[in-house]
Amino acid sequence: MPVRVLENTAPSQVSGTNSGGSSSQTCSLLGVGQAFSGTQNVSSVQKDEAWRVNVRIQGCDLEHGYLCGTMEALNVPMADTPVVTFWEGEIVDTKNYTFFTGKWEATPEDDIRHWSKFPSFSPLLGQVEVDGGKSLDLSNYPYIFMRWKEQYFVNVGTDCGLTIAGFYYICFSCSDGSISGFYYDPNSSPYQKLELKSTNDGRSGFSFSSYELQ
Amino acid sequence: MPATRPSSDLIIHRLASSDCEIKLKAIREVKNQIIGNRTKKLSYIKLGAVPVLAAVLAGADADSAPGSSLIVQSAAALGSFACGVDAGVRAVLDAGAFPHLIRLLSAADDKVADAAARSLRMIYQSKLAPKYDFYKEQDMGFLLSLLKSGNENLTGLGASIVIQSCETSDEQNILCCAGALERLISLLDGTLSQRDFSLESIAAILKNNPEVVSKFVDLQNGRALSSIIELTKDRYSRTRLLASLCLICVNNSSSCYLQDTGIETKLINILLELLDDSGKVGDHACFAFSSLVEGKEDVQKLAFEANAIDKFNNHLQNCALHPKRLEGIFIALAALCSKLECCRSKFLSLQALNKLVDALTYDDANVRTAACICLKNVSRSVKNLSAGYFMNERTIATLVRLLSDLSTSVRVAALGAISNLVIDFTPQKSRFIQCGGIKELVQLTKSMDSSLRLNAVWALRNMVFLADKMCKEEIFMELTVSSVASLICDPEPSVQEQALALVRNLVGGCMDCVEYAFAEDGIILDAVGRQLQKSSKIEIGIQGMYLLSNIACGNESHKEAVMQLLFSKAENGSHSFFSRFLLSNDSRLRPSALWVIVNLTFPASPGAFDRIVKLRNAGIVSQIKKMVNDPCMDVKLRARQALAQIITFGDN
Repeated sequence: MPVRVLENTAPSQVSGTNSGGSSSQTCSLLGVGQAFSGTQNVSSVQKDEAWRVNVRIQGCDLEHGYLCGTMEALNVPMADTPVVTFWEGEIVDTKNYTFFTGKWEATPEDDIRHWSKFPSFSPLLGQVEVDGGKSLDLSNYPYIFMRWKEQYFVNVGTDCGLTIAGFYYICFSCSDGSISGFYYDPNSSPYQKLELKSTNDGRSGFSFSSYELQ
Repeated sequence: MPATRPSSDLIIHRLASSDCEIKLKAIREVKNQIIGNRTKKLSYIKLGAVPVLAAVLAGADADSAPGSSLIVQSAAALGSFACGVDAGVRAVLDAGAFPHLIRLLSAADDKVADAAARSLRMIYQSKLAPKYDFYKEQDMGFLLSLLKSGNENLTGLGASIVIQSCETSDEQNILCCAGALERLISLLDGTLSQRDFSLESIAAILKNNPEVVSKFVDLQNGRALSSIIELTKDRYSRTRLLASLCLICVNNSSSCYLQDTGIETKLINILLELLDDSGKVGDHACFAFSSLVEGKEDVQKLAFEANAIDKFNNHLQNCALHPKRLEGIFIALAALCSKLECCRSKFLSLQALNKLVDALTYDDANVRTAACICLKNVSRSVKNLSAGYFMNERTIATLVRLLSDLSTSVRVAALGAISNLVIDFTPQKSRFIQCGGIKELVQLTKSMDSSLRLNAVWALRNMVFLADKMCKEEIFMELTVSSVASLICDPEPSVQEQALALVRNLVGGCMDCVEYAFAEDGIILDAVGRQLQKSSKIEIGIQGMYLLSNIACGNESHKEAVMQLLFSKAENGSHSFFSRFLLSNDSRLRPSALWVIVNLTFPASPGAFDRIVKLRNAGIVSQIKKMVNDPCMDVKLRARQALAQIITFGDN
């Protein structure tokens, strides 16, 4: 949820290649209840700024390529309290969703430009350019690619000075539970980077809670 | 001046008269008085009219003219007693009239046979009717002769017997093999009544039986199926409903039989149209709709596109609905909202939730149950739960009150809805606590009924998910340590699983919460150990492993307690469940066991080195080494993570 900024979004070059990978499969670190914390860089030409961000996974339905949760921005300059949003995620599993967004004002070029910012995407680039990755089998890939779209503000009104018009391109590492993301909104600063790590709240290890809907 | 009617007592007196004319007149009088009059029926039953009529039926000579008249009239009166009143059916059966009616079916006089058949049909409309034995060759032969008969009442009786008594798949198979379906299909060309009872019988034989359905679709080279498809366009609404029911049975058995005809959309539209029938047809259309869409996401999507939710909601807004209709609408909406978020959003956008909450307090228990089931399915949405859509005082307080409802099915259904609502995603869960919900839930965990126990523990497990310390404390105090330990050892494996998941959530999160597992000399942890040792259910293993993982991310003494549980009796093989879990074929169980190791060997914990030595001595480290190339990504990564931590202390 970046600041509502209107400025020229100079599209960067499609980055070259690096190394890495991407995919989607069951990962216990991406289960319900898991928490992540880190920052979102909202720097623009005028200022250099980053917010602390907490994310909590609330729902996960791998069969439908669905994930959802909340995102809390902590030191937002124009807000008195932390701002919490609810987001829903599309998991790029090539069955329910491909790398091409097909909505939210994102063209395949926008998609490839953003996905290419993740080093782990580069081995997939060739095939994604052909068919959005439809023919890729990502079930054994140690990275999970997703799009997270904020749906509503949980604790503040829509007049809070922040926007949820865009969405995040997300890359999740199954190895250590770290998350990288880039916010995309034609009306906001480009490539605002989200960086999160799995948290253990002072515990000496990883904790796993669960619920089950009836 | 009109003639005065004789009193009921006088009529009873005359029924026993030795004068045939007086007796006949009295029987006619009774028959005329009770037709469609429940009160009169009950009153004459009380006066003992039924045994007297049964005696007339048994004693009269069917071959004489007066005897024949007596039989026809008494059979008609007995049938009328049995029509729509269970007490009447019971009285007729108790009076021993049933075998005489069966005997009279073979009477030479058509009028007598006809009257007996009509009477028996009335009896077979009740669940109290004697169960027909399809396995007896003679009885089956008799049934087929009824279906083959040219007499509408006899064929109707045959169909009623099938509808009432055909319940199991064995019974369906035996009827199918005996050729009942062919007979029933031939009746589709008969009168309106024959067509309808034939369709109803066919549905009874096809229901949930893929084997019979596959034979049925091939009958007469598919012409039988085509006739039924054709009848869905009939001008009579009941015929359309019954033909649709048959096709739903076919479609539920396998979607391949009706694939080419786009039948699902047609059935959806037919059933939605039948809702406009204000009588029983409309009521049954709701239930038929539910069985059409139940569990089938693609069909639910088609129904959504056909505006089914709007249509059910329009009917729901009608205040004067019969309880059966109200129940049916909620059951249909529940089925529609069971899988698709678009259906749930539509339901909520139409403000149907208010009507649903009203129905939670409806007089009829079936309506209350249906409303709870609907609420449960509508609330299967994390998005709406997170928005706090259902957490309002009125809904929660009403649901909590339903936990002490007299009907078990209402209580089970209310628990289902509560299980979803309490997830709520806020740490305080205060609204539910304020309504006294915890006390009620805890009480139900002690129920003798295992479905109540299961659902109550399930609700508590969901409630503790990410709850704050205060909420956990409240639940833990109310439950008591010994109850938690007993629930872990419950006779029902599904209760054990939910109880372990509850403790997993209790000890998860903040460090302090780990202590719950150690209360009262650790009897909870002992119960966990015993259950993991003896249970073979995978889900119990998974919950147990995550529970131990959560304890193992506590302090040193917590980690040591987990080591103790896993390895203290290593010499007599009691730790073998842990090795077994690591070797399991289940790709959910293996990672859960590996998380325990990751947490036990977590870097910077002072006792990690000693624990690694023990793990190595127990053969666990070498087991983990074999898992680093596991075909499951999650297992592979967790094994590598554990091994990386172990190796920091040296490879030996």
